[in-house]
Amino acid sequence: MSERQIAVAKKLRVGFYGITGCAGCLESVIFNEDEIVGIFNLVDVQAFPFIKGANSHEDLDVAFMEGLVASPRDLETLKEVRKNARVLVALGTCANTGCIPAYRHYTPLENYEHLIKEKEDDIKDVPPSPIDTHVPVDFAIPGCPPNGKEILEVIKAVAAGKTPRPYTAPVCIECRRKGNYCLLELGKPCLGPITRGGCGAVCPSGGFECWGCRGQTEDANLPAFIELLEQKGFSWDFIKRRLRTFVGQKTPDLEPLRRALEVEKV
Amino acid sequence: MSTQIDLEELTKIEGHATLRLRVDDGRVEHLEIRSLEGSRYFEGILRGRLYSEASEIATRICGICSCAHCLAAHQAIENALGIVPSAQTHELRRLLNLGESIRSHAAHLYFLALPDYLGVPSTLSIALEQRGAVERAIQLMKLGNDMVRLLAGRDIHPVSVTVGGHLKIPTQEQLTGIRERLEQLRPAAVATAELFNSLPYPELHVKLERFSLYSDSEYALIAGSIRSDEHEFEQRDYGKFVSEYHSPEQTANFVVREGHAYMVGALSRLANSKELLSSDAAALLRAGPVPQGLDNPFLINPAQAIELVQNFDDALAILSNLRPEPEPPPEIWVQAGHGIAAVEAPRGVLWHEYELDDTGHILHANIITPTAQNLRAMEESLAALLPEVVHEGKEAVVAAAEKLIRAYDPCLSCAVHFLNVEWL
Ligand code: SF4
Ligand code: SF4
Ligand code: SF4
Repeated sequence: MSERQIAVAKKLRVGFYGITGCAGCLESVIFNEDEIVGIFNLVDVQAFPFIKGANSHEDLDVAFMEGLVASPRDLETLKEVRKNARVLVALGTCANTGCIPAYRHYTPLENYEHLIKEKEDDIKDVPPSPIDTHVPVDFAIPGCPPNGKEILEVIKAVAAGKTPRPYTAPVCIECRRKGNYCLLELGKPCLGPITRGGCGAVCPSGGFECWGCRGQTEDANLPAFIELLEQKGFSWDFIKRRLRTFVGQKTPDLEPLRRALEVEKV
Repeated sequence: MSTQIDLEELTKIEGHATLRLRVDDGRVEHLEIRSLEGSRYFEGILRGRLYSEASEIATRICGICSCAHCLAAHQAIENALGIVPSAQTHELRRLLNLGESIRSHAAHLYFLALPDYLGVPSTLSIALEQRGAVERAIQLMKLGNDMVRLLAGRDIHPVSVTVGGHLKIPTQEQLTGIRERLEQLRPAAVATAELFNSLPYPELHVKLERFSLYSDSEYALIAGSIRSDEHEFEQRDYGKFVSEYHSPEQTANFVVREGHAYMVGALSRLANSKELLSSDAAALLRAGPVPQGLDNPFLINPAQAIELVQNFDDALAILSNLRPEPEPPPEIWVQAGHGIAAVEAPRGVLWHEYELDDTGHILHANIITPTAQNLRAMEESLAALLPEVVHEGKEAVVAAAEKLIRAYDPCLSCAVHFLNVEWL
C-alpha cells in the first residue's frame, strides 16, 4: 500500500443525516463556505443526502443527526444510523430537546386538532421527542441552528481523535465581550443570563433578545431569573412560554419553582 | 404484467418523500408523490403566542427559506395591526430577500440540479475536475449568505427583522462592501445563466397556470398582487385563491386552485414579470430556452439562473440609492386584527395569515408553503413525462423522475430528505 492509500484508508467515515426538522442544521454545515471543500477532503463523507446522490449508512465512525422524532419512520432511520455509527452526534436543538416542534406538549389539543389528519401507519404521529429519548447519544451540539464554526470544531476534533469540549459559560459573557447594549436592561426578555453560550451571542448582537435555544447553563439560577423578569413586568404565562420554547421538556419543572417563589413572597 | 421493485432513494432534495409508481404493460397506471416528513403542526404551536413571537417560531418551518418565512410572518402581522413600514425598511427587506434568493438559487443550481446534467452523483464529489464550477457556486452562496448575515443578524433564522422595522440598520460601509462584492461576482452570475441556458433539457409540455407576485414598479418579491396569465388577485383575497386537501399517504397538504394544479416559483415569476427584468437579464432570457418553453418544468432551472442575474441587478440598484438612516422601530398599538401576506420564497409564493385578539395574541394561523402548492404540479408533470420514458426501463424512469422533481426544487420539510421511488 502506498503512503497515499494509507492516508486515505485512515480517513474518518462520517455521515450527515436528517429526520423531521427544517434542514437549518445541515445547512449550517454547508454554510462554512470557506471550509466545506476542505471538510469533504478531511473526512470521508459517506452520506449527506441533502447534496449527495449516493449515500450509505454503513460502518460509520461519526454520524451527525439533525431533527427530532415525529413519526415511526424517523425512529427507524435514527435506530439504523445509531446501529451503524461508533459516535452519534445530536446536531442542533431539535435533536437535543425537540425544539419548537416539541412545544406541542405545552399547547392544548384544541390548538392543532384541526390540523390532525388521518395518516398511513409509517407516517403516523408519535409524540415529538429529541433523539436521546430513543437511542444513546455520544455528543450534543446545541443551537437552532448550531454555530457553523462549532460544527467544524467538532468534526476536526473527532478527526484528530479528541473529545470536543462543550461550551458552558452563559451567553452574556460573549455578549458583553462584543460590547453589545444589554437588552435585558432595556426591558427586553433576554434569556442570555441563564443560557449556555457558544453561539457568539448572535441574537443580541443582531438586536434581538436571546430565546435560550442552546439550553440552560448548569448553574442557572432560574428562580432568581424568573423573579427578575416578573419585576420587569412580564407575566408568568409569558415567561413560562418563553423558557419552554426551545428547551421544551428539558426545561426544569417550572411550576414548583414558581410556587416556591410565591411562598417566599408571603 | 405489473412491476414491483425495491425502493430507490431520491436525494438532493430537501425533505423526505417517496414517489409511488405502478407500471402495467408499459403504461403508468398509478403515480403519486408522498411526503414522509413528520408533521410539526406549526400553526397550532403559534396559537396563544404573542404577535411579536410569530416570526421566531414560524422560521423554524424551513431553514432553506427562513428569511421568506420571517418576512411573510412580519408583513402579515403588520397587516393585522395596520402598520405600514418605512421605505427604508422595505428596501432592507428586499435586500434580505435577494440575499436568500442568491444563495438558494446558487446552491440549488450547482449542488442539486447540475449533477443531473453532468451525470455525476454530486458536484462536491467532482470538486477536482470541476474546480471552476464549485468555486463559483461557493462564492455565490457565500455572497448571498453574507447579505443575509448582514441584514438578518445571522445566516439562518433571521433575528434583526422586527414588526414595523429593523433592529439593526447596517452601516454605509457594510453596504458598500456588499455592493463591491456584487459587482465583482456579477460575471459569475452571468456565467451561471449562460451555463444553464446551454444545458440539454428534456422536452416536456404541461399546461399549468403560473402564479407569482406582481408589481408594476419592481420585479416583485415581497409586495404586490398575485398574478397569472389569466387572473389577478389582491393578497387579501387569498381565501378565494387557494384550497387545501389531504390524503392519508401524505403528511403534507396539497394545495389547489378550483381543483386544479398550478405552479409557483422562478418560471412563474419570469412568465409574469419579464417586462421588469434588467436589460442583461432580459437578454439572457431571450438567448436561452425559457421563452419557448414556459410550459416545460425542466426550464425552472435556467429560469432560476436568469433570476440570479436579476437578483444581482436588483440588489445593485437598491444599494446605489440606499443611504441608511437610524430608524427605531415604531411604537406598536396592540389591537385585534386579521392579516395576510405573500412573499416570494426562492421556490415560489409563500402565504402567512394571522388573526390576533385585542391583547395581540394569535388566535389563528395559517401558512401555505410553495412546495405544498407545487406538489400537484409536480405530480401532473411526472404524469406527462413518465409515459415517454417508461419503455426505457426502471433506471431511466427513476433518473427522469428525479431530475424533474429536482427541477422544482421542492423543499419537502416545509410542505410537511430522501425521495424513495416505490414501485407498486
Ligand atoms: S434545530 Fe433549528 S435549525 Fe436545526 S433542524 Fe431544528 S429547527 Fe431547524
Ligand atoms: S443582551 Fe442578553 S445576553 Fe447580552 S448581556 Fe444583556 S442579558 Fe446578557
Ligand atoms: S443568543 Fe440565545 S437564542 Fe440566540 S443563538 Fe445564542 S443561545 Fe440561541
